[in-house]
Amino acid sequence: MNLVSWILGAPALGMTLLLFVPRTQEAWVRRIAVAATTVSLALALILVGSYDRAAGGYQFVTEIPWVPQVGIAFHVGADGISVAMLLLHALCAWTGVLISYSIKERVKEYYLFYLTLITGVFGVFASLDLFFFYLFYEMAVIPMYPLIGIWGSDASNAYSKEYATMKLTLYLTSGAVLALLGLLVLYGGSGISTFSLPALEHHLALHPLPPELQRWIFPFLLIGFGVIAPLWPFHSWSPIGHAAAPSAVSMLHAGVLMKLGSYAIIRIAISLLPEGAAAWLPLVATVCIMNIIYGGLVAMAQQDAKFIIGYSSSSHMGYVLLGLSTLNIIGLNGAVYLMVAHGWMTALAFALIGFIYDQAHTRMLPDWGGLAKQLPFIATAVSFMAMASAGVPGFGNFVAELLIFVGAWEKYRWQTVAAVFGVVITATYLLRFVRSGFFGETLSRWDELRDATTPFQRLPFVALIVALLILGCWPNGLLPIIDTGSRALLQRIGASTMLAGGVLP
Amino acid sequence: MNWPILAVELALAALALIVLALDLVWSREQQERLGAVTTVGLLLILALWWHQRGASGTGFYGLAVLDRFAWYMKGLILGASLLVVTMTREFLRRLPGPRGELYLLLVLAATGMSLLTATADLTLLFVSLELLTFSLYVMTAYVRTDARSIEAGLKYLILGAVASASVLYGIAMLYSQTGHTRYDELTLHLMTHPPTPAVLLGMLLILSGLGFKIAMVPFHLWVPDVYEGAPTPVAAFLAVGSKTAGFAALLRLLLTTLQPLHAQWTWVLAALSGATMLYGNLAALPQKNIKRLLGYSSIGHVGYLLMGLSSASVLGTAGVLFYLLAYLLMTGAAFLVVVAVSQRIGSDRIEDYAGLSQRSPFLAAAMFVALMSLAGVPPLAGFFGKFLLILSAVQGQLFWLAAIGAVNVVISLYYYLLVIKQIYLRPAREDTELTVGLPYRFVLYACLAGILGVGIFQRPFLALATTAIQSWF
Repeated sequence: MNLVSWILGAPALGMTLLLFVPRTQEAWVRRIAVAATTVSLALALILVGSYDRAAGGYQFVTEIPWVPQVGIAFHVGADGISVAMLLLHALCAWTGVLISYSIKERVKEYYLFYLTLITGVFGVFASLDLFFFYLFYEMAVIPMYPLIGIWGSDASNAYSKEYATMKLTLYLTSGAVLALLGLLVLYGGSGISTFSLPALEHHLALHPLPPELQRWIFPFLLIGFGVIAPLWPFHSWSPIGHAAAPSAVSMLHAGVLMKLGSYAIIRIAISLLPEGAAAWLPLVATVCIMNIIYGGLVAMAQQDAKFIIGYSSSSHMGYVLLGLSTLNIIGLNGAVYLMVAHGWMTALAFALIGFIYDQAHTRMLPDWGGLAKQLPFIATAVSFMAMASAGVPGFGNFVAELLIFVGAWEKYRWQTVAAVFGVVITATYLLRFVRSGFFGETLSRWDELRDATTPFQRLPFVALIVALLILGCWPNGLLPIIDTGSRALLQRIGASTMLAGGVLP
Repeated sequence: MNWPILAVELALAALALIVLALDLVWSREQQERLGAVTTVGLLLILALWWHQRGASGTGFYGLAVLDRFAWYMKGLILGASLLVVTMTREFLRRLPGPRGELYLLLVLAATGMSLLTATADLTLLFVSLELLTFSLYVMTAYVRTDARSIEAGLKYLILGAVASASVLYGIAMLYSQTGHTRYDELTLHLMTHPPTPAVLLGMLLILSGLGFKIAMVPFHLWVPDVYEGAPTPVAAFLAVGSKTAGFAALLRLLLTTLQPLHAQWTWVLAALSGATMLYGNLAALPQKNIKRLLGYSSIGHVGYLLMGLSSASVLGTAGVLFYLLAYLLMTGAAFLVVVAVSQRIGSDRIEDYAGLSQRSPFLAAAMFVALMSLAGVPPLAGFFGKFLLILSAVQGQLFWLAAIGAVNVVISLYYYLLVIKQIYLRPAREDTELTVGLPYRFVLYACLAGILGVGIFQRPFLALATTAIQSWF
């Protein structure tokens, strides 16, 4: 056992402990959940500090043969990209657990499902074995059903929470099984009967699959994982899912779960099927413009705060997809950096909206009026969130989006132009968001609302804002680590495409 | 004679006689203890079974065989019988009238099932099949006061008789063409002689008869009505016991005796596998009764199992054995919950499960785990089973079948989640708590531990399944 396995082990242990706590002991349930995620966060921070940048590659690896008959091993570890993802998730999970103090009903069940979700996501980011990757992926999806169904609120009059959660679960599972088919064909095609990711990477770099086979498998993985990314037109589960979920779940859902998709595309699809990637990614670069522009325009038309952020998430994920489609170092780094920055930004947004919704019981912006008077701290935090989301310099999102535009300019000229235009759309709806919700007419019926006053209440918001500022002002902290991961990946697939007889454009 | 070959079956028969004798001499009050007697008897037989691990040999003039495969399947059947006895004890509490017959028939059916796994001759195949089926006819119609139970028994009897006739006819055809009924002699004959049309017809007739046992499309028509009408423990026995025994017979027949005709049956099974999966899962979608739902879904699971069989590889066959173990645990757990709930609320309608999570968090959690495992959610046993079967289809160049299997994961998840929706999302209509007795709770815990344990530590179980069938390849 080492650092990475403990990051994953802490919430799993917490989950197991929870089973033995009586349901009436709510305080203990919460304490265990907080303790488990705090340990994970602390370990993730240590991981960032102790990851050897010069050496690169997979570090803190644990490998235990699990089902050797078919080549499955419990194999976890982290390279530069997964270090960033683990940190992203650790912070979101920790703040999510703190925000969950507002959950008052069926507390034990809630934390059980929530910790299962957290463990699953850690598992995906740490897995170096395709079988366990899939196992954790599906393990992260299923708890969403009860989490949204029990503790959520109806997305709108048209979409009940039962509808939203069923749609989300079925969409994500459909994507998962589609990806599974691709993975199994890949497993069979490689001919080395192992699910080990490093072994497959190594083997396929020297003996790439035939290009036709790669081009055939790639869409399975692309669409399968793209559903959760969410790649247009498979995104329709996402905004209503976000809107229906309780705030802590939306935080993880938009902040981290969506990143599982783009992470899997980078880690598995691009890394193992470079020829397939070269053939299909130009299409992705075009389709993701639909994400950016269409998602942004729809967000503009919304009145419901959660729907705005929900659509804005699928719009922002378009930038991530554009970044990874570039297949060059700048774009790929930008994509991963944006995954982190956007994750924290969205988590912040949903936490803030949830804070208000829990008291006001409405998410309609015009109903909020001028909350800045009544909730000065929350309004300030919202302004920070809006600036980060709109890509104002000083926040991580600016750095990431800039990298993506620079990376994409060479290869996808008009897509980049469209994407830059998307930033204007983002700024428009976010400014509207802030103005009509917080700086409009002050409504006396909200005088009773209580601001976040105690340090404990403020902690999650402050932590996320500080994290975003660090990302923006000191990119040299995390970016070099990500760089080791993406550089190694690009070198490997560059070599293997030459072997396969193709040329990376 | 080599008696130890059939030690488990002989012990089961002896247990049946003991139950019969006690039923005759005991008074009505004392008969309440028959359930306990049966449980203890089965546990002792389970110990005997464990003692026989690794043993092998043939006996009874080549009629019966004990090998690792038979041993594995007998374990599943004994496990299923134990679960069903637990359910029966719970079930009989609310049912006035004599107790003994149900236990007697249950043990007799278990004897037939166990014998089926050890069969190495077509005549014994038929005899054990009939022993099992006759017991189940009566068990299905056991609740004489309930018209649905009688109807279910009648349906099962008529369709079952047709299936038995088909098996018998198939055996006659094979015998007329080859002059043999013993599996090893048949294999030799089929290897040296090209199949005649009559041989192929005989094979198809036997397949159809066994297809009825395991509820394979198009021989599944009896399933929903019989599951709904039969007493719930009997439905559970049909689902786990009868199916396991049917697969045991099918696997041995196809992979040893009919192995020379392998080119002829694989594509038939592959096509039927796809049809069975799709039919079972699609038909389960609109169901309002939990027993009907589980009935249709059991058809879907047969489709998955056939997928492993039609790839006819070590991996696929081991996958079938692994899946049967997982299926026993998860279907057993689901039926345990259904029996407990229907004893307390007197209804099998899915909408009456509303708010179960508040009325009994334990039963609700058990149902959640069981149904999610049936749907193939990791890290539960059903997931790894489905994973192996789909992988074996991909490896066997049956990509289209693997794709159907994958699609069915989503379809089945949908209707299982509809049950979960009632249990967890909907408010309870009454808030009386449902309490479950300790022994029953213990059995259910054991099933849940099994689902999780087999799902997480797959290695020893897969190794067991692989060694069981390795000698055939």
